Amino acid sequence: MDTSQIVMERSEKKAGGKAAFFSAELIIAVVVVGALALFPGFVSSPYTLHIMILLFLSTINGQSWNLIGGYAGQYSVGHAAYFGAGAYTTMLLLQQMQIAPWFGAIAGMGVALVVALIVGSICFRLRGPYFVLASIAVAEILRLSAMNLKDVTNGAEGILVTELPALTIAGRTITDFSSKVPFYYIGLGLVIVTVLVTYLVQHSKLGYYFQAIREDQDAAHSLGINLSFHKNVALILSALLTSLAGSFYAIYVGFVDPPTVLGLDISVQIVLICIIGGIGTIYGPVVGSLVLVPLSEALRSNLIAESIFKTGLVSETSNVGAFLKENLAHAHALIYGVLVVVVILFMPDGVLGFARKLIVKRKGGRG
Amino acid sequence: MAILEIKHVSKLFGGLAANSDVSFEVAQGSIMGLIGPNGAGKTTLFNCITGYYPPSRGDVIFKGNRMNGLQPDRVCKLGMARTWQKVRPLAKMTVLDNVMVGALCRTNSLKLAGEIAMEQLKVVRMEGKASFLAGGLPIGERKKLEMARVLATTPELLLLDEVMGGLNQSESEEIIQLILDIKARGITQMVIEHDMKAIMRISDRIVVLTSGEKLMEGTPEEVVSNQAVIDAYLGESHI
Amino acid sequence: MIVFSQSLLSGVLIGGVYALIGIGLTIIFGVMRIINFAHGDIMMIGMYLTYELFTLAGVDPFVSIAITIPIMFLFGAIMQKVFINRVLNALPQNQILLTIGLGLIMSNTMMLIYTSDYKILTTDYSSSSVNLFGISVSEPLAISFVITAAITALLYWFFMKTDTGQAIRATAQDREAAQLMGINVKRMSMIAFGLGASLAGTAGALISPTYYIFPQIGSTFTLKAFVITVLGGMGSILGATLGGILIGVAESMSAVYISSGWKDVVVFALFLLVLLFKPAGLLGKSRM
Repeated sequence: MDTSQIVMERSEKKAGGKAAFFSAELIIAVVVVGALALFPGFVSSPYTLHIMILLFLSTINGQSWNLIGGYAGQYSVGHAAYFGAGAYTTMLLLQQMQIAPWFGAIAGMGVALVVALIVGSICFRLRGPYFVLASIAVAEILRLSAMNLKDVTNGAEGILVTELPALTIAGRTITDFSSKVPFYYIGLGLVIVTVLVTYLVQHSKLGYYFQAIREDQDAAHSLGINLSFHKNVALILSALLTSLAGSFYAIYVGFVDPPTVLGLDISVQIVLICIIGGIGTIYGPVVGSLVLVPLSEALRSNLIAESIFKTGLVSETSNVGAFLKENLAHAHALIYGVLVVVVILFMPDGVLGFARKLIVKRKGGRG
Repeated sequence: MAILEIKHVSKLFGGLAANSDVSFEVAQGSIMGLIGPNGAGKTTLFNCITGYYPPSRGDVIFKGNRMNGLQPDRVCKLGMARTWQKVRPLAKMTVLDNVMVGALCRTNSLKLAGEIAMEQLKVVRMEGKASFLAGGLPIGERKKLEMARVLATTPELLLLDEVMGGLNQSESEEIIQLILDIKARGITQMVIEHDMKAIMRISDRIVVLTSGEKLMEGTPEEVVSNQAVIDAYLGESHI
Repeated sequence: MIVFSQSLLSGVLIGGVYALIGIGLTIIFGVMRIINFAHGDIMMIGMYLTYELFTLAGVDPFVSIAITIPIMFLFGAIMQKVFINRVLNALPQNQILLTIGLGLIMSNTMMLIYTSDYKILTTDYSSSSVNLFGISVSEPLAISFVITAAITALLYWFFMKTDTGQAIRATAQDREAAQLMGINVKRMSMIAFGLGASLAGTAGALISPTYYIFPQIGSTFTLKAFVITVLGGMGSILGATLGGILIGVAESMSAVYISSGWKDVVVFALFLLVLLFKPAGLLGKSRM
């Protein structure tokens, strides 16, 4: 085989041809999914399952945002709009009309679709920073509307639903949602869906076009790419998946209110997950979640404060100690801020991008 | 047969006329040189032709169809492609992926696009760098990459904007050979260039722009011996 | 009729303060092309600074501006030098994220120090009113407007008549050309950010007698500041001034004629409309 044939074959694999199907990557993925599927059989602690569910939620949000932000390069900092659309629609339909959440989630996707179409039509002619601002404005309009339309949404008091209908198929009850296990599997399922969608996009014409738009919009336009169509496709895909995450969150937690599901905090968190992990990569959001969720929980549960006390550096009864104990639990937003600053300044391509650079340096400069 | 007709095209920005009543035709299969001092309106004309913005007045006719107001992606699909004065590589994508983006203009199959892309990379002799990141390439290879990418869209008319800018002697020579090979493939070209020697060698006809207006048009010999052209280029000629 | 003219005038008065915030933001954008998402949080710090000066030293909030301006200027300059400077050539998205991160750090640090309890700064004249053109308006608001007008006039003089001011304008118009002409663009960026920060801090000081003071107040003002600068055209001081007053009036009218809960929705909806139809701003320019 001469050089050009070898290069052609290698580049076909890179181009995502069928040759790559049984790669190491796929095998690892299958093993991991299998392990995760069997996990609840071995671990029954509700707290552990809860952490896993949080990890799943975070990953789903991150993967969904990645499609529009990481691949197409349009940084929406208003994704709470879709998360909240899913959450509120599901809860309202459940509470007011006793519609089961699996149908409510589909309705939620419908609402998210409408919002995405509106955002797309207004915002996509805007370049970079203007798009960011517009996306925030839309999310804020939704949040404020949810606050003000008290007759519909119960305003700031939010909606509380603790009883979920049992899931029955052909007369057989699959689950009555009394433990965390069914939520675990729903979460896992959604993770698989979003990772799969990301994979399919990356290895398709859509993926190439999204990335071209991200890299240089004008060049992409001149190469035959319909900018507005593709940006909208990316946003719609992203919005639909984020809304599913919102619906899932709503039924898991059982309570939604405007700041929790429509607030700027959520939007920023979602972006953070991808930035920390590495934008525009398939597993970036997974890495980002693995960093953020444990950190967040460790802070919330005083784990970090207690570890600091254990090392003896700071005494629990001292002023500093008391301060730490009191406030570290609420400090996760502060830590998010610090993380963003650190990542942007020192690792703008995220953890994965940073690792990739190290590997590339060793291989001698090839992409 | 004129593949491109420019009829009284003007482009105004506020009060400034970047192009003023420019008219000429480009014969199919030929190479049309477009020269003029800096600020003469050459790139503006390219932008009007390819739909980056519409002309303020006049018509752009390509293969008998009026192109005014068409978006750049439509223009590309109809068979007209352009390179950029300041190269625009898709930096975080590989060389091969860059060219594939061009090839995907004509096919939905990644496999086919990959094959087309490799062919074009062979034409510009960069097949060995297929897996390199475009952002890390030196300027000469970025220019070649852009040409390969644009060739992958299978254009009938190729607009090259200072594709030799910033290149050394041997790199420029490579590009000139490339342009002649492209001509041999039957693709029409319009070339903006400051390198006079190169333009003289490759062009069938030349259009001269100054201050947004067409100064004259003719064969290379006619243009080079024209007093008005010499005056316009005083101090800049490389003849 | 009285209600109308009252809400109109109040809107204009508060609009003056909004204009100050917007001008600060637009200067930063004009000179560095950076969208400063921490702007509202800088204002918040100005509010707390004013509060402390008042509570600890009994300094009247309007008088304390003399102290707030230089301190906030320094704060902004340091922030620029340490953080913002490093991302001047990064992707705009990353620049925004950096400022978002800095904003999060500021607001949450203040929350750790002060908790999220609302603080109120009450002076003797906090609830007094004054008679302007026969209409009764809040006294602190009226004073703020006068001070704002004075500051804006000073700014105008600074940018038009002083060397530094003109150098900043040159940097905003064409950074490379300014550098070639011997202007220290890095220093101009630092000054511009310091200026923006001190304007934001001053706006905070001015509204502290009339608004609740709490750590999260920043984000609402940041968004409003953006609406104002986009309305007026990013980089245009005149635009930010007009935009501020427009938004002040729109808000005031909405609060009176619709409801105070919806007033922000009106502002954001206006924002989206402008983006849709006149993204370069109502004045149609984007320069300083």
